[in-house]
Formats: sequence, structure tokens, C-alpha cells
Amino acid sequence: MEAFYELLKNFNFLLIGAWETLKLTSFSVGIGLILGTFIGMGRLSRYRIINYPCTAYVEFLRGTPLLVQISIIYFGLPQVGIQLAPYPAAVTALGLNSGAYIAEIVRAGIQSIPRGQYEAARSLGLTHWQSMRYIILPQAFRNILPALGNEFITLTKDSSLASVIGVSELMRSGQFVISRTFQTFSIYFGIAFIYFIMTLVISRIVRYAERRLSVG
Amino acid sequence: MNQQATNSAASQEILRIENLHKRFGNLEVLKGVNLSVRRAETIVIIGPSGGGKSTLLRCINRLEEYQGGKIFLDGVDIQQIDVNKLRTRVGMVFQQFNLFPHMNVLQNLILAPIKVKNMSKEQAIEKAHLLLQRVGLLDKIYAFPEQLSGGQKQRVAIARALMMDPEVMLFDEPTSALDPELVGEVLDVMKNLAESGMTMLVVTHEMGFARDAADRIVFISNGVVEEEGPPEQILKQPQKQRTKEFLRRILE
Repeated sequence: MEAFYELLKNFNFLLIGAWETLKLTSFSVGIGLILGTFIGMGRLSRYRIINYPCTAYVEFLRGTPLLVQISIIYFGLPQVGIQLAPYPAAVTALGLNSGAYIAEIVRAGIQSIPRGQYEAARSLGLTHWQSMRYIILPQAFRNILPALGNEFITLTKDSSLASVIGVSELMRSGQFVISRTFQTFSIYFGIAFIYFIMTLVISRIVRYAERRLSVG
Repeated sequence: MNQQATNSAASQEILRIENLHKRFGNLEVLKGVNLSVRRAETIVIIGPSGGGKSTLLRCINRLEEYQGGKIFLDGVDIQQIDVNKLRTRVGMVFQQFNLFPHMNVLQNLILAPIKVKNMSKEQAIEKAHLLLQRVGLLDKIYAFPEQLSGGQKQRVAIARALMMDPEVMLFDEPTSALDPELVGEVLDVMKNLAESGMTMLVVTHEMGFARDAADRIVFISNGVVEEEGPPEQILKQPQKQRTKEFLRRILE
């Protein structure tokens, strides 16, 4: 009973951590979206000088653990003179990481649009960039919305790794409460519950947006 | 190059294709195509599939690059013209319409004039009204492509290409993806366009259209112009064996 009481007593504190998690994730996905859009397009470039680095980027960031990436940026970079505070370091690591996954989603999204759309755009005199911006990407994003929602959910959970470098998001807040109350079971369970509610809400929002877009 | 001589010899010539060669890997699709098109002329290109008809059209607005030969638009080698500028001068209509599904009809029409030709939005909308009226679809101006029939889509696609005021229009099997009962409405729009003085190159299997609207029929087979001439001559008295065989098969 006491365990439950401690959870309730500290629930507000955990919710503040959850809010931080949401902000951290949103910033990171924002960066990931911009990065991923360009790298995803770059992956489809016929110029090797663009194509190869983009492919290398995706392969490297998908092929190494996020925890290691966070450690490199927070603990490793200071040795070469780049010192980042925990929060910017976490946003950078999560943003770079989601950029790689989103790049693959964007690439698939672009490839899902029939070639004739691009040709029609170019045949009207639009440049490559104009065709991408006005014709291909708007259609691609509509198609990949579910996958992007998925990535947002994944990153919400993965952002808990930022706790190891001291970012006071949900996981870290929970650990802080535990260090005072020693209620490991109820608090960790409470954290899990809050993550679950967050991801549930996000997936509902994405599904709603999807339905709205498919009507228009 | 002796451009002046070329110009005076055929002042009405708008398009000239000289010894055009196009390869896809090891497959040679165009093996030296020669063709001259006069202003306001309607050319219907016929021939067996895989013979290079579509590829020829796609070379003219450089959707395909070619390995040999030259194409002149109004006396200028198209390789010397900025590719996006070239494409505003040479419009294209595709077999699959390729309307932009996330935009309504009006948006489909006004995007390129605004972005490419820096036309004002008001001006573009006014022009869109005129052209939609011309293809008989003014009442569909706010419809989305998925709400249109195939024939209506293709008429919108024609209007969209005309928005750029092209000097030449290319039609790549414009009615091949249509249900038979919808072919007529598209061909009617094309006939009107031809009568209005547009220079047109039309790849099609519609022999009725070729007979009625073409100034000249060009028969392309195996990557070369096998035979060309006025419709009566090509359709009634083809000279070459290949042409005869093709026409017999298609008219059956």
C-alpha cells in the first residue's frame, strides 16, 4: 500500500519528467525530419558524391547502438574540444539517430510515388527541387505518415536513454524518486504506465491525422 | 553551321530531327530518325510497340537523353536551350494522365505557370478558366483528379500542358488508358487544338484520328522512320511491306 502511496505522491513530479520526455522527443524528431528528408532524397540521387555519404550515414547510425551514440556525443566529443550540455547532447544524438531511420522512411515514400508524377512535373518546366517540393514530397509524406508516427513512438521510448547523461526526462525523474523512496517496483511500473499512455495517445493522434488527410 | 540557309529553306519548320540515335544500355531503340515538322502541322506517329515512338517524343522534351543526332526547335539545337525553358515550349500529355492527385484541377493547372513562368496567381486563374472552358470542364475546376473519369482527367492534362503556351505539343498514346466510350471526348479536344493551329506530334493507335486530323502520318518501326506521307497515301497505298503488314494487323 505504501508503494502505491509513494507513486501517487510523486506522480506530479513524474508528469513533469514526462513533459520533458515529450519535448525532448519532439525536438529530436523535428531535427530527424529535416535531416531525414534531405538524406532520404540524397539516397536516391544518381550522383555518387551525394548518394554514397547519405548511404554511409544511414548505415552507420542504424548499425550502432543509440546508447553508444549518446556516449560519443556527450562523453567523447569533449576530448576533441566540443563540449555539449546534457540536453543539447541528447537532442543531437536522438536527432541524428532518428534522421537515419526517417531517411529510410522518406526514401521509401518517394519511391512509392509513380515515376510519371515526377516526369509530369518536369515536363511542365519545374526544376528537380520544385518537383520534389510541390509534387513528390507532399504525396510521399501522406503515404509515410503511419511510419513517421511509428518513429515518433520509438523515439519516445528510446529517449529514456538520455537519462544516462543526466537529462531529467521521465526515466531520470523516476530514478530520482526511487533514490528517495526505494519503491523500485511501483515507481518503475508507474514510469512504464506513463510511457505507455504517451505512446498510445501519439498513435491515436497519428491515426486521426491519417484519416483527415486521406479524405482531403 | 549554316543556319541561315536552313531557316530560309524551310521558314515554316519548327522542329527538325536529324539522325537521332537512342540506346537503353545495349538496346538501340532509335537508329537514326529523321523528321521535319512544320509550324501548325499535326503529325500522327504510328508503328509497332517497342518501335521507338514514345522514346522519340520523350527525346524531344529531353525526358530521355539521346546518344547521337540532333534536334532543332525553331532552328536552335535543343541541347543549347535550358532544359526547363525547353519544356515550357514543348508540352507533353501522357498515357497515364499524371495529374497531381493531391491538388484540385485548378491547382494542377496554375502551379507551373506561377512557379516556372512567374505568372501572377490572378492571371493564372483567369487563364485556367479559359482553358477549362475550352476542354469543357469548367464545372470541374475544384474537383480532385480521383473524382474525374479517365477522359476528363486527360482533358485536364491537356489544359494543364496548354497553360504554358507551348509551341509544340507531344501526345504519348493519350487515349490508350481510356475506356472505349471515353476516347471520343479526348480526341475531339485534340482535333480542336489541331485546327486552332497548334503544332502536334501524336503517338496513337487511333486510325480514325490519324485519318481525320493528321496532316502527315509517320510510320516508325525498328527505330527508324520507315515511311511518311499524307494520311490518304499511308493508309490507302502504303509503299513499304512493313507498313502494309502493320496496317493490316491494326485495321483488322
